[in-house]
Amino acid sequence: MIVRLVVALAVAALSVALAVLWRRREGRFDEAEGRFTPVELGVVKIERPSAVLVEFYGQDCAPCVTVQKRIGKIATEVPDVQIVSIDAGARMDVADRHEVRRVPTLFVLDADLRVRWRASGVPSEDAIRNALLGPNWAGRPVPDAARQQHVRH
Amino acid sequence: MSQKRMVDKNGMRGGAGISAIVLLVGFVFQWRPVVPAIAVALAMGSLFGLRYSPLGATYRFIKKAFRLSIPVEPEEEPPPRFAQTLGFVVSGIASLLFIPGWNAAGWALALLVSLLQGLLAVTGLCIGCEIYLYVQRFKTREVQAH
Repeated sequence: MIVRLVVALAVAALSVALAVLWRRREGRFDEAEGRFTPVELGVVKIERPSAVLVEFYGQDCAPCVTVQKRIGKIATEVPDVQIVSIDAGARMDVADRHEVRRVPTLFVLDADLRVRWRASGVPSEDAIRNALLGPNWAGRPVPDAARQQHVRH
Repeated sequence: MSQKRMVDKNGMRGGAGISAIVLLVGFVFQWRPVVPAIAVALAMGSLFGLRYSPLGATYRFIKKAFRLSIPVEPEEEPPPRFAQTLGFVVSGIASLLFIPGWNAAGWALALLVSLLQGLLAVTGLCIGCEIYLYVQRFKTREVQAH
């Protein structure tokens, strides 16, 4: 009986430990490398925003809806950011080239479409905001909300 | 996104928490019938939809009885329903393993289900849903390749 109780507690503890580990990783922006092309992003002309936020989403993906809501909110706050949403299922070629293994996955690019940050899962609003606003890689310009764009394909 | 039936994600998490606890208590007291009982509950969610799952109904009852103000968080049904199917398969196998007396193997699988259900309850991370999305992407890739 005591052994079984210990095993049951161990399973519960393992569940909590895995939960803590997962929460640490989930939605965390890490520095990343690579580069997108305008064709991949479906944009003909780069308006040279200070940052491009690329979101890979999927059908039936509930966390993607959460991320889209957060992005939508942040897009009204952060100036000079271009948001591109890509259906990972429909654009498998692009998803594979950038090693997108799960959705949602977010990339923050600089004006030359170089990947600066990447996150899988659901980042907090603050994490997305921080990735877009700093550190100083973007050379933040004067805020100009009128230049915000959202491309969806 | 396509219009699909929605379910309450918090209800799914609540139901997962209930099944995790039931399986752990069943293990401690060696109540083997709880494993097929959970298998049947998961099967009902898988076959008829999550709104008919006894686990979800228990969650809703507890929420109402204790007037818990847990918000409804809509989520598309297919991934969690697939996850329920996986849970049913594993707990079903666990139940079958008890018949010839392979209790250790049966409980090992039941504890695995409990672990994953506990993880879902605590974090919202649904391994079965992740597998579903991965399979969907794989199927799309196959279609595009042909």
